[in-house]
Amino acid sequence: MVQGGETMIPTLAGRIQTRLLLFVLLGIPLTALFSWLWLPLYWDLLFVFLLTVLATVTGFGLIMDVVYIGLQRLRWDRDWPFAYQFFFSIVEFALVLWAARSGLIPWLPAEALAGTDGLIMASSHFATVFIPSFLALLGPISVFFIRWRFKAGQLGKL
Amino acid sequence: MTVLLTFNVIELDSAGQPRGPGAPLEIDETGTISFGSSSERDIVLEGDLISRHHFDLTVSDSRVMLTDQNSTNGTQVNNMRVGLAELGQGDVIDIPGWRLEVTSLSFGVTEPETTVSPQGFPHDVFGDDTLVDVGTLHSHGYPIEERKFCAVGGGLGSFTFVDHLRCYGVPSSDIAVIGTEKVSYATYKRYCRDSQIPDHERLRSNSLSTPDNIWGFPGYASREAFGGLLRGRLGGFKRIFQVFGEPTLAESYTPRAGDVFDSLDREERRIDWPAMHRQGQARCIRKLNDGRYAVAYTMRDPAVAEADRRRIIIADVLHLATGYPATRFVDDFQTFIVNYPDHRHMVHNAYAPHDQIYDAAEAANGPVYVVVRGRGIVASRIIQRLHEARKRNPQITILHSMRSKLDPTSGARYGRARRQVRTNIEIQPFNWPKSCWGGDLRFEYERADKAKRGAMLTTLGGTTTAERSDWIGIIERGTEEGWYKPVYGSIREILPHDDSPDKVMIRVEGEGGHRAELIADYLVDCTGLISDITRSSLLNDLIETYSLPRNHAYARKGDGFEKRGPTGLDVTPHFEIEGLRNQRGRVYASGTVTSGGPYLAVDSFLGLQYSALRSTDHLVTEGAHGVKNLGPLRSAGQWLKWCRGAKP
Repeated sequence: MVQGGETMIPTLAGRIQTRLLLFVLLGIPLTALFSWLWLPLYWDLLFVFLLTVLATVTGFGLIMDVVYIGLQRLRWDRDWPFAYQFFFSIVEFALVLWAARSGLIPWLPAEALAGTDGLIMASSHFATVFIPSFLALLGPISVFFIRWRFKAGQLGKL
Repeated sequence: MTVLLTFNVIELDSAGQPRGPGAPLEIDETGTISFGSSSERDIVLEGDLISRHHFDLTVSDSRVMLTDQNSTNGTQVNNMRVGLAELGQGDVIDIPGWRLEVTSLSFGVTEPETTVSPQGFPHDVFGDDTLVDVGTLHSHGYPIEERKFCAVGGGLGSFTFVDHLRCYGVPSSDIAVIGTEKVSYATYKRYCRDSQIPDHERLRSNSLSTPDNIWGFPGYASREAFGGLLRGRLGGFKRIFQVFGEPTLAESYTPRAGDVFDSLDREERRIDWPAMHRQGQARCIRKLNDGRYAVAYTMRDPAVAEADRRRIIIADVLHLATGYPATRFVDDFQTFIVNYPDHRHMVHNAYAPHDQIYDAAEAANGPVYVVVRGRGIVASRIIQRLHEARKRNPQITILHSMRSKLDPTSGARYGRARRQVRTNIEIQPFNWPKSCWGGDLRFEYERADKAKRGAMLTTLGGTTTAERSDWIGIIERGTEEGWYKPVYGSIREILPHDDSPDKVMIRVEGEGGHRAELIADYLVDCTGLISDITRSSLLNDLIETYSLPRNHAYARKGDGFEKRGPTGLDVTPHFEIEGLRNQRGRVYASGTVTSGGPYLAVDSFLGLQYSALRSTDHLVTEGAHGVKNLGPLRSAGQWLKWCRGAKP
């Protein structure tokens, strides 16, 4: 008689697939749009650079997903509150940004992200991609992929 | 015949005295019978003080419910004004100018040979054949309707399946639905109301479990938040925060019952539910020799003449979602009702109407003791309701009967996680851990063999309640002030009290043989309903005729688990009943009739949507019935139609 439901209940495969889906469907086009608005003259150069940053954050997130799944299994409902998702996404970005600015990531030149200007640009770009991606998780993905919510974030047939 | 209800109908004069000996009225079919002064009613009772639609009787296989239809002058049962009451033999219904005495009430035995009457309809059509000849079927002269799809049940299970078909592009002219109630949520709403969840209270369901929307987006939380915003209230955003943080930072969001019902009304109109719906009772299902199925049913539509009510629907694909066949109570409770009918009013099942005890407890001028049995979500709600009643009568005491004490570390364990315990009750936002709906526990359970499934079902299920601060607050305050008392032990016997006949005595045996006797004014049993699908003559006949396999319950025994009695129908992961395959013909099922099968949370909004999606996708994969796949673009297109309120 009583009813049940879900919030975010991904499996490891689901986390990875959803992360890649959002990178392709929202990350790439929004990065292009952001680059064009931020630096219309050299937007293509900025696009390649910012996409590399975004790919690095995404790659780092894919590694962290293993940790999240481990934590999730300690929870009785085996779910992942949206607040955790929000918080850890920002942590992932902050760590990558800090590492890049410290020159610890060989393919991301520290000087390109240096100073207040670099911080503002990287943060604005991240917000541009992150906010729509996070909102998409709250339901809109299901509009296109109706089976996604029953497949723990994986794509394809049930 | 499954029920026989007879009345003596007496017309009263202005002084309330009988005008004559009265006239008999006999009801021998299940369904809803309306009473009132309008000529549209099934039973017309004339009088200036009678409302046009005064009250309804809802007759099922196991009970007769009276519902007052907000009549101006009210309906009394046994001299008490009621909104909703269960009728028993000897009860007297009074409305101005009329008295209806229940002279007899009996429910048929459930053996199939008596429920599917050997002479009459539909046995005269089907005979003893398990495979019926289509030509012969036509020769009997009953009205026959041919459709591609037929959903049997007419409740929320049928609705979610049909909603999927419609959103996948199946026209409403290809679909028929058979159900006893006009609206899909009527039965669900009745259970809610009986267990003290009126429309403004919240259900135990989450925001994205939206039976009116196959995508789960937008969820009820955002609809409530933005609805509130449009009305100029900002409180709605608390709901968004609940979804965002649940369950760690805020209490889980749950939608208001009334909002869910309103949303279902809109979706029913959008998908043309009324046009597909045949109000009636499905009697019997048989395979046909051309690969289809015949469903014999009796129409309940008062506009259709009696002689014309026996009908047949032929369909390629069937869906069975008949819900709880009958509400069976736990044995000691049932024994008490049978042995002491005079004391019937003291004991109630929380899922059956029992408003009168709150009215009586509130009106009493002295101490009232109420035993609440069980520790599920319904018990929580009943305690909340009694707490409200204490505002009128502060001398109400709640005795909460639970089998044993539960300390904070003795919650269920699965893997490396443990279920939380608060105030002796296991806490879980919904009736299964969340990942049973679509997370890793769903995968793990579907992959598991029968024994592992049994173990998971026993461990992950069980009685739980939601963590609501108001509920916990009530128990804490009640314990402190002495009006809430937990009582541990199994109830052994329920008896009328020897010395004071208006009280009930409950014998409890605790751990280590410790015995106690509770003396109370009322007992509200919240241990739930027992779902026995063989009590549905339709399902029982199918199980016997086609030797359908069943799932089984499991129980903990020592360190392991042991197999117990049969539960739901065995279905594939697509919710197909394989034993009913008939060439291209397919039969699917959903809801409580499939419990113990490949999915744990079958009896929930989201579970019904999940099964409907699996079955519809299976029809697409098989490709035999013209259902087209719902890929990303078509899905988004259908979603836009939903948003606009356009027909699919």
